[in-house]
Formats: sequence, structure tokens, C-alpha cells
Amino acid sequence: MKQNYLIWRQILLLLIALSSLEHAYAQSKTVSGKVTAAEDGAPIPGVNILVKNTETGTVTDVNGDYTISVEDDATLVFSAIGFITQEAVVNERTEIDITLSSDVKSLSEVVVIGYGSQRKADITSAVSVVDIENVKERPIANLTSLMQGQAPGVVVRQTTGTPGEELEVSIRGISSLGAGSNPLYVIDGFPVGTSAGQYINPADIESITVLKDAASTAIYGARGSNGVILITTKSAQADEVRLTFNATYGVQNIPDSRRTQMMNGVEFAQFKKESFEDKIRYFEGREPSIEEVPIDYRYPEQTPYSTDWLDEILNQNASFQNYNVTLGAGKGAIRSLVSVGYLNQEGAVIETGFERFNARANIYGDINENIAVGWNIVGAFTREQFANTAGRDAIIGKALWADPREPVYNEDGTFNDYIGGHDGVFGTSNPVQELKEMERNRNNTNVLTNGFLEFTFLQDFTFKSSVNARLINFRQKEFRPSFLAGQGFDQPPPREAYLREYYSENVNISTDQVLTYTKGLGDHQVSAMVGYSAQEETVKGISASGDDFPNDIVRFLDAAVRVDAGSSEESWSLLAYIGRLNYSFKDKYLVSASYRREGSSRFGANNKWGNFPAVSVGWRLSEEPFMRDFTWLTDLKLRGSWGVTGNNNIGNYRSLSTLNASNYILGSNFVSGQVLSSFPNVNLGWEQSNQVNVGMDLSLLDNKLTFTAEYYNKITNDMLLPIEIPVISGFQSAFSNIGKVENKGLELALGYRTAVNELNLYTNFNIAFNRNKVLEILGENDEIRNGSFYSSYNVSVPGRPIGMIHGFRMLGIFNTEDEIAAWPTQDGAIPGVYKYEDTNGDGVISYDTEDMVEIGNPHPKFVWGFSLGGDYRQFDLNLLITGAQDYDIFRNIEATTLNMDGVFNLLQAGKNRWRSADSPGNGIIATSNTWKWERESNSRYVFDGSHAWVKNITLGYTMPDWKNTRVYFSVDNLLLISNYPGNNPEVNQRGGINPGFDDETYPVPRTFSLGAVLNF
Amino acid sequence: MKMKNPIILYSLLLGLTLFSCGEDYLEKTDPTKLVADNFYETETQVAQALNGVYSQLQGIVSSQWQYNEFTTDNTTLHFNIGDRGQGPSLEALEFWQINPSTSNINNLYNSIYEAMVNINTTLAKLENATFDEAAIQQFEGQLKFLRAYYYFHLVQYFGEVIIITEPLETPSEAWSYARQPVDEVYALIESDLNTAVSSLPASYEASETGRVTKGAALSLLGKVYLTKKEYDNAINTLTQVLPLGYALLPSYADVFDPQNKNHQESIFDVQFQGGNELGEHSDFIYTFAPRESEGAVIDFPGQNGGGWNVPTLDIIAAYEEGDLRKAVSIQEGYTNLAGEWVPVPFINKYHHPHTIRGRTDDNWPVIRYADVLLMLSEAINEQSGPTPDAYDYLNQVRQRAGLAPLSGLDQEAFRSAVLKERRLELAFENHRWFDLKRTMTPEALAAFMNAYGAKERSNPTTTRGGIPFSPADYVFEPYEVLFPIPADQIVINEELTQNPGY
Repeated sequence: MKQNYLIWRQILLLLIALSSLEHAYAQSKTVSGKVTAAEDGAPIPGVNILVKNTETGTVTDVNGDYTISVEDDATLVFSAIGFITQEAVVNERTEIDITLSSDVKSLSEVVVIGYGSQRKADITSAVSVVDIENVKERPIANLTSLMQGQAPGVVVRQTTGTPGEELEVSIRGISSLGAGSNPLYVIDGFPVGTSAGQYINPADIESITVLKDAASTAIYGARGSNGVILITTKSAQADEVRLTFNATYGVQNIPDSRRTQMMNGVEFAQFKKESFEDKIRYFEGREPSIEEVPIDYRYPEQTPYSTDWLDEILNQNASFQNYNVTLGAGKGAIRSLVSVGYLNQEGAVIETGFERFNARANIYGDINENIAVGWNIVGAFTREQFANTAGRDAIIGKALWADPREPVYNEDGTFNDYIGGHDGVFGTSNPVQELKEMERNRNNTNVLTNGFLEFTFLQDFTFKSSVNARLINFRQKEFRPSFLAGQGFDQPPPREAYLREYYSENVNISTDQVLTYTKGLGDHQVSAMVGYSAQEETVKGISASGDDFPNDIVRFLDAAVRVDAGSSEESWSLLAYIGRLNYSFKDKYLVSASYRREGSSRFGANNKWGNFPAVSVGWRLSEEPFMRDFTWLTDLKLRGSWGVTGNNNIGNYRSLSTLNASNYILGSNFVSGQVLSSFPNVNLGWEQSNQVNVGMDLSLLDNKLTFTAEYYNKITNDMLLPIEIPVISGFQSAFSNIGKVENKGLELALGYRTAVNELNLYTNFNIAFNRNKVLEILGENDEIRNGSFYSSYNVSVPGRPIGMIHGFRMLGIFNTEDEIAAWPTQDGAIPGVYKYEDTNGDGVISYDTEDMVEIGNPHPKFVWGFSLGGDYRQFDLNLLITGAQDYDIFRNIEATTLNMDGVFNLLQAGKNRWRSADSPGNGIIATSNTWKWERESNSRYVFDGSHAWVKNITLGYTMPDWKNTRVYFSVDNLLLISNYPGNNPEVNQRGGINPGFDDETYPVPRTFSLGAVLNF
Repeated sequence: MKMKNPIILYSLLLGLTLFSCGEDYLEKTDPTKLVADNFYETETQVAQALNGVYSQLQGIVSSQWQYNEFTTDNTTLHFNIGDRGQGPSLEALEFWQINPSTSNINNLYNSIYEAMVNINTTLAKLENATFDEAAIQQFEGQLKFLRAYYYFHLVQYFGEVIIITEPLETPSEAWSYARQPVDEVYALIESDLNTAVSSLPASYEASETGRVTKGAALSLLGKVYLTKKEYDNAINTLTQVLPLGYALLPSYADVFDPQNKNHQESIFDVQFQGGNELGEHSDFIYTFAPRESEGAVIDFPGQNGGGWNVPTLDIIAAYEEGDLRKAVSIQEGYTNLAGEWVPVPFINKYHHPHTIRGRTDDNWPVIRYADVLLMLSEAINEQSGPTPDAYDYLNQVRQRAGLAPLSGLDQEAFRSAVLKERRLELAFENHRWFDLKRTMTPEALAAFMNAYGAKERSNPTTTRGGIPFSPADYVFEPYEVLFPIPADQIVINEELTQNPGY
């Protein structure tokens, strides 16, 4: 596989080499030319022309003409108020004509919104635009990384370090208890679902707009509740031919400071020895003799090996490579762009990695003055070498607890193929061998295409008909050879080899018909839109497993002794009628209203259709005559909005009661049987959110200082929830429309940009406070409890935020029998175990959830992002810091890595355990004499996750005499400031309504990279 | 191309797309599954629903050893110091540290009610069935037998339980049910079994073997009466089983041989089938074989067992000299691959050659004729002392085991003899816990269990790898004759009461 891509790399590298052949010789001469406006071709007088990095300059005359004396290698900088500054390298030329585009950003920046676009100044809802310019050159694999720290209320978390992984994005908190809280992604007008996927090349992205409040998302109806992310891909600029080449190479490492430190071989053997002795001391009340310690632990200092398994499975300097070539050409009526990209990210864990090959092409053209057409196609092939990495039984967890007294390799160089599994230590396959020998990969072939036809007629009407389609082919294969050990006691190899294969095909097709009317009549501006949308998605899959292979060489189903296979198909569809009306008076008073009526196949027969209205108003105070005197005030807008949105993300067929096959044998013959698999609910309907938003946009001092504030209150009703029901019904849970959740919050964004001589500086700070509260679940069943007694519980109850962490409140460690006797009854407690609080005061700490209370809040008080950038002469610097404050994480892995049974290796901290009243340790880690009253969900495992993370620093240098070639050095995840003991405080292993859980997962690396952007 | 009147064209286009997506565009059902609304109509469909009910027995009987053998003096575990993951669950059952959060108790409770809904739904649909009346009656009899079977288990495990006999329309109805007195539960069991007795045939044609018969219904009803100490009823009911053609097989080993399924002694077996890909196999020996046996017991390379349900030294010692059943039921150890004798006993009853790893062919015996004979013997002795009939039934079983007939016992001694015979004859067939409960008061049972625990503590059946017993191990208190109502159910429904002591 790699070789195919090597060829591409060679071609790309060749291009770089060619570009270096050009040389420029410095020679003085006179250059002249004309500066015109891109819009109408009119000459622009008064344009400043400066020889870059000098004081030499001139201005254009009334006809837009200029003359200047320069050297060949000079760069001319053309700037004028209201236009985008442009540079030109002189080279051999003596005549340089320049076309300047008007600076829409400052005058009337247009923002992409649902089913259309709107002048930023006219927007009356909560919409954030991600400034791609400032983040585009980070070494990232997934487009979701572009949004990190960029917009208030848009929380982007890198929950694991898995190569190529899509980050977790949530907008304005968790609003649904059952239907997920992921936003809707819309790519070039095509709603692709609640995942951005891994197939979009971040380098292809032109803009990202985040719709946050209901007034902006209601037009997406039943998919708008969690916010909408609109992604627009690049297209060619008019009258320009541009070839850009971009290359990045980086190395990734897990910093030592963020590696979990376990005991080494000698330390672990010492611990085991002591734990045998301590048991005899406690239970039999006598001093043990050395012979009572099993021989393997009797002399810890003689332990022959010591392996740090985590170190062994981490990659040193894992490479990150990314290459993109983009060719854009706009000539006359046709604009076209082609881009290809290749990404290869090795994992920070050995034998894992992600590769992507992308190609995109689009073409837009005006057939005549009435008709425009466009077509866009992207194809991507991704290949992932994956490993099972989440949880203590997965590879990272194993590397922590595996017996450190074992070597990786035997003396003869072969793998030591069974780690532990004797001497009372839990057994596992050799983690290094497992990673190297298991065959695990996923291939994904994606094609996404959109086409549209646009007619403009009667001057003010536009009708746009578009068709979108996405096809995905997914294939996964996993083979575990027989020579890998199993997990647990008595699992040495050979085990049965197994093969798992999965193949699926996904077809998603949508069509939109949208008619728009725009009219300006003096002070009145009206635009109206009506439309119709339909979408259908079908996923078909085949999965098969083969077990027991006669050899490990032929790894296909046919070779298996036992084969199981199944196929599946599911689909959903929606229909929607949409409408929107925008009206503004004198550019001051703004009103917008939208409506969507949507039907979905996912809901019960009685509730198929839902209505989603929204209205918003805005008042641009700065346009009022009485504000004219405040010259420092550039713009001030107050706005308010209300809307209804929905969430249909509940899976298909939930309203039906279906049967599962459950067969039997009668008369020695197989007979087929059926049993019920779910509770029916014909009334299953829409989850609805009502959201109010008030906001203010302020800009001062010619846009130097900008400030946006938003306050919102979102109430979600009738959530689609699997509620736990008494099992006498025959089922442990059923889906129902219940519950009410409130999310309210404040979002602030502050920006400042300035220029001092040659130094340009900008900085942005954003912060979001979200408060989440369950208002109601169901009278008779008023809590949602997930998790388990021996890990942690996430509990949602009315009056409290979603998914609070519940457990016993650990108050300390019992030192003596007397202390136990004096305390409320903890049945079976012995000295050295945790002392829990009797929270219900009944004198008994019962061995169930009765005395469990809230022990942690997994929701941050606030989340913030800070970016700082600037350029000075040829240098530029960008810095991005993100953070979250005051939230808790249940570090569940410590129930394993500090499991005092001694069946797992222990954290270094295990040395500070309680051993006796005279040697009580650090008061946090329990005795090794028992397991009871130690590993139950309790506050001892709760840690503060507050952090500030320097996500990226990029230093760039632009070479003007080299066609503005830019080289840069970039560091990702440079510095994490946090007291959290795990690798990653953004971890969220259970996800959804069960936040704040860490059972160890793929660590997040630090990446150093070098890159270059070449323009031709 | 010049458009004269584009609006008309566009309206047409728009109209076309609208028509192409009508309301039925939104009708989607799961193509991979049957939908319950349209099921239970025809005889074939109801038969499939009943097959589904039978199939749920497979899972339930496969884990029942945990509650009926493992908790008693019959079996223990091979303590695993390298994996204490079962500490809170299986180990808790063995050492009598059960509490409302013990997951296995939760599983037991859930699995029974999850089977119940299929019985109740099918029975409810049968009320409106229009196919052959005889078929309807037979379906009803089988379903009611199985419902009685489950409630009989529930009432013995948990005491008062929720009675539910109808499928629910909405989830919220599930909160309106409370636990019912034990007598009410028994009334339902007797009523269901009487229906079963009157509507079921004594036997089926060969292709239907495995279904519940009249004999099975009578045997279970007899056991219900015996448990309720209604000895007259018990004797009358069980006596009706005698003329139905059942007999003890000459060889005890043949009773469990998969080559010999559904034989003359078998009254009700849960059916399994190994040797193929159908997924209906059993795997009992995989749980029971010693965990370090590495293929020396289960004849596949490297294959270990679970090391659970290990026969105790106590039951091994209980066999009389010459008891032919001992070697069939128990192996006292095995020779490992290195040729060394490993003294870890294991249950041998369900240990038979099979061709595919993990897929054994063994059925699970639920009721067999020897059980009926011993029940009769017990009932007669309780009613009238050790009469010749009582001796006859007991000695039939002893004779097959190669043991001398008993004689000359008083009622008390005979009672002990029957209990002991049941223990050995029906060893590891999930009778022990209910037999102990039936024949002892809670206090007597506690004393009995504590005496057994003291024995096991002083001389454990298997090695403990240097780990001492905890003081709380094997402490049995009288309230523990009933299992706790699972905490999960009480958390959901606070009205639900807990058994005293928990």
C-alpha cells in the first residue's frame, strides 16, 4: 500500500525541486502599470504602492496608472482603503497591471447560512465564522481540528490520540438525554449527518460557519437541535490561475510527563511479597516465614526482567506527512479547481496509522446571464490500521497492568508470548506482539458529489435545483492469529485464531429545490425563500466471522472451521417544506422568520410530521442618527431570536416492536423460534427544543476591536429516551418521549487587531459558560443511571446537570477494628479499606447504590479559547490555547492500576498503600488484604480535569522573492497545564450523557512539524 | 438557449419532484426483522413463538447451577488468585456474600421475566386465535406449564414476587405491579399446571420430542405439592405419572449420554444439539472442567474449563462404597499434559466427546423418572412413615446404582436417606438448593450450611494459592434462604419491597 503513495510523493517532491530552478538576478529598472477594480474594471486612483521592506513608494493617478523604479527581485505592495492588499514580484517584468478586489470583509462580508447566504451585518441570529486563515497550517488530519478554540460555545475535544480521528464537537452543551448531542454537518449544502467523517481534506476547506441558535438552525428542522456546521469547500477565484503546493512533515511523541508510571519488575515483586505477608499478618495474626511467600516473589531483588510495557508500545517519532496540490483556474464564464492530497499519519502507538488519498474537482459556469451550473466531486480513500485501544482490557490498558517481570522477547529473539497468567498475575498476550501480529485494518472509499442548476429570472427571482449524493464503501478486517495468547488466567497460546470481516455500503441522496426572491425598494430590503427538500439514506452490510483456523497463513473465511455470517439493511427518509423571509428597513431594523415542516420515517405512525418555526429581529443602533457622533463606534447591533428545532437522531425503527430469531431443537430437528426484542411505541415522536437567544455585536475603531456577546436559553422537551423499566414488563428498557432539559449560557468573543509600523497583531479570546440542568424526566422513574457498581455511575436527575458522577463519598481509610466498630456498619470491612459516608443516615452503608451521592460534576464551568497572531516583515507567528475549567473526571483505570488484589501491575503510587495502622500510607490507597470496600464507585477516583492546553504554535517565514513561498515550523499540543493525572483531560470514554470517564485510551501526542507552501 | 417563460418550466420541475416523493416515501420498516404487530396470527407463527419460549430455557438452565448447586454443599470453586473479577459475583454466591447488587441474582431475575413476556404475549394472542382448536389447547398447555415452571422457581428463590400474566400495552403500566403473597403465586402455578395436565398429551410423535407432556406437568405439580407439604395431593399426582410408561434406565451413565437423548427415564429435558453450526449447542463442561486442564479434560488443544461448580470433598465422601453413580457424576482429578495427577475434581456428567470446540451435544435434564420416584418416596414417608411403597420407590433408585436396598429405618432416618439419595442420584442437576430449602427450616438450613462452611474452611476442596479465607466467607444466616430482590429493580420502582435481612 505504502508504495503506491510513495509514487505520489515523488511527483510532489519533483515539483518542489523544479520551482527552485528559477533564479532572479537583481537589476534596477522602471516598472509601470494600471490598477483597476476587480468588480467593474474601473481604474482606482490613490492606490499606495510600496516596494516591500523599503520606504520607497508611489501612488496611482486618477487613471489608476503608476510608474516606479525598482530592482528585479523587489516585491510591490498595492494597498487601498476598501480593497484587499495585493503583492506582486517584479522579476523580469516592466509592466505590471493589477486588479484589486474589494475587501468584502470590512464592508459587507457574506456568511454562508442554511439554504443560502447573508450579509454579516444583516444576521440576527447566533452564527460564528471560523477564521480558517489563522488555523489552516496546523498538522491536522481531520477538519474538526480546525474548529478547536475558534468559536465560543463550540466545544471541540480531542478525546483520544487515534490517528486521523474526528474530534468530538458539541455546541451549547448536552441537550438531549437520549438522541445524541452531535451537531449536523452540512458540506456544500448537503446535510451529511452528525459526523464530519474522515474523508474531507482540511486543505480543501474555504470556510466553516457554525449555526448555534434555533433561529439559524430551525431551517434544518429535526436535525437542528444540536447546532449546524456548514462547511464550504474551495473553488477557483475569477480571472486567476493558481497552483499551490503545500507539504508538511512532522514527528509525534507522547511526552514523558504524560506517560503513566507503573511499578518496575522488582517493585512489583516486592509488592506481591508484601501482600502475601500482610495477609498472613492480618488474617492469622502472626509473622509469616519467608517460605510462605511463593517462590517467585520471595526474593524480589532477584527478579530477572523489568519491562515498561507502555514504553514498548509507543512509537518514537511517529511521522506525520501531508501533501496537497491545488490548481484553480477562473477564465471568463468558467471557474474550475482540482486538488489532490495525501496524508499519512503514523500512530503514537506502534502498528497503528491512518492514510488518506483525496481528489477533488469542481467546475462552475455561467451558461448565459440567466443560467448557472456547477458540479463538485470529491473522492477519498482512507486506510486505517487500528487497534483496540479504549478501556483497561484494550492495548493501552494492558500495557499498564501487564506483568513487568516479563521480557518482551525470549533469549532466542522470539516473542515472549504469554505475559503473566501464573504466580497469581492476570495473563495477557504480549502487547507488542499483539500489535505487530494482529491484522486489523479499515478501508473507506467515499465519493461525495453535488450538482446544481440555477436560473435567474424576472430580475429578482432565482431558482436553484440541486442534487447531492454520497456513497461510502467500508471494509474492515480483523484477524487474530492462533499464536497470540488470550486474556486472563490459563490462556497461553495457541488459542483459536479468529477472523472478523465487515463490509458495508452507504448511499445517501438528497435533493433541494429552492426559489429565492430578493428585492430592494428604497429603504426596504426584502428577500424570501421557499423550498422543498427530500433525503434518503440506506446502509447495507455484511458481517462474517470465522473461528478456528487450521493455520495462520490463509486468513480468509473459507479456511475457518466455523463460520458465522449475517447481512443487514436499514434506511431512513425525510421530506421537508421550507420557507424564510428576511426584511430590513434602512439597514437598521432587521426581521427574519423561517419555517420548516418535516416528516421523518423514524417516528411512530401517529407522529410522523413536525413543525419548526423561528423568528429573529435585529437593530443596528450604529445606523441611528443619534449615534453618528460616536465616531469610534463602527457597528453596534442588538438582536434577539426564538425558534423550535428537533432531534431525530434516534436510530431507525424505534417505534416498532420487532422479533428476534431464537431457535430450538425438537425431535432432534432444528426448529425456528421468535422472541420479542423491544417494546412498541406508536406514539414515538419528535424531541423538540425551544431556544431563545439575545446577542450583541459591537465593533469599534474601524473594526480594530470587535466584541460579540450571546445569551441563550434552550429547553429540550419530549426527549427520546431509553428509560429503564421494571423487568416484569419483559424488557429492561423502552424508548419513550419524556423529559425536559435546560441549557442556558453566555458566550463572549473579543477580538483585537492592530498594525504598528510593520508589525501586525491580532488576538481573539472567546469564552463560554454553559449551565445544564435536567428539569424533568418522568415522575415514576426520575433518574437515568448508567454505569456500574464497580466502575462509576453517571446519573441524571431533575434539578441537576446531566450525567453527574455518583458513588460513595470516601472519607478516608479505616485504621483499626475499633474505628470500624465506631462507624456505621460497612459489612465485611477490615482495617485498610475505605471509610464511606453513611449519607442516608440509617446506620448502614449498604452494598448498593443507596448511600451513593454526587461525587463529581463532569461539566466545565467554562470553556475558553485564545489565539494570538502577528507578522513582522517576513515572519509570522500564531498561537492557540484552549482550556476548560472546573470539571471532574472519574479515572476508572485506577480501579485496575491500583487494584490491590495484586493480579495487575500497579502504579508507582501503589507503594503508598495502607499496610497497617502503623504504616497507613498516603491515606488514599487501600490495603491489599481484600477487595471489598475498595473498588466500588467512590470519590477517591474523581479528579479535577481543569486545564489549559497550548494546542498550537506556528512560526512562519515568507520568501517574497520566491513567489511568496512560505515555510513554517509548528508544534501541536506543546504544553498541557493541568493537575489531572491521566494523559488527556479531554477524555470522554463513555460519551453522550455519561461524560467524565477515563478508563485509559489512545494517548494524545505532541507533534513537531515543518512545512512549506509554494505558489506558482 | 433563451427562456421565454421560465417560470412555467420551473414550476413543472418542482411539481415533478414533489410528485415523485409521496407520503409512502416516509414509510420504512425494518426489512431484516419480523414486526410483532403482524405476528402470532397463524398456527405456524404461534408455533414459532412457542419455540422461542422453549429456546429461552436454554440460557436459564445453563446458568442455574450458580443458584442451585454452587450455593450449596454440593459444589465449590477452584479459587483463582490470578483473576478475582468474579469476586463480587460468582465468588459471592459460593461464599454467601450475596447482596442486592450481586449481578448474578439480577441476571436470574431478569432472565425469567424476559421469558415470561413471550409466554404472556403468546397466550394473549391465542385467545383470539382462529386455527385448529386442538392445536390451540396444546399450545396453551405448553405455555402454561412453562409459566408455572418459572413462577415455581421465582417463588422458591425470592418468596413473594410480582405476578404478571398479561403483556403490557405501555411501559408505565409496569410500575403498578406489587409483589404478591406466596399463596397467590402458588395458586397461579397450580392453576396453570392443572390446565397443562388436562390439555397435554402423554407423548408426541418423534419429530416433536422435547415438548412438555402430561407426565412433565404431573411431575412438576407433584413437586409443587411436595414443596407446599400437601402430601396427599403430592402422592395422588405423582402416582398418576407411574402408568405413563416411564422407567429407570439400567445404566446410570446412559441417562446422560447424548447418544441416548429423550430416553424412557427422561420426563422433561431442555434440548441442545452440538456438532453443527446451528447455534443450539450446550457447553456445560466448558464451565465445569478444571481451569488449568489445557485440553487434558476437554479434548481440544489448550482448552481450559471455567473451574466453576467443582464437586466438594463433602459430596465425594457422601457416596457409599460401590455406588456406580460416583464415577459417572464426578472425576476426582485428572492427569495433565505433563502426566501428573492434578487433584481438582470436576463434574463428569456432562462430559462427552464432541466434534466442534465449544459446541457440546448434552441436553439438560430437568425432570426425570428417578426424581419422581424419590419424590413419591419422600411424600409417602412424610404422610405415613416409611411404608413398603416408600421403600420400594427409594430402593428402585438404589438398586440401579448398584447399592443394597434400605430397610428398617424410622421416619426421621428415612427422611435423611431420601435427601441423601436425591443428593447423589440427582447430583449437579440443580435440585440441591430447593431440596435443602424444602426439607429444613431456615434455622436448620443455616446451621447445616455453617457446618458445611466450617468443613470447607478447614479443609478446602482445592488450593487457594496462599490466600486465606475472609471471615465473612461461608457465614450463612437464616434470612438468606431467600435471595434479595435485585437492587436495580428497587432503584427503578421504590414501591418494590426487599426481603428482610438485605
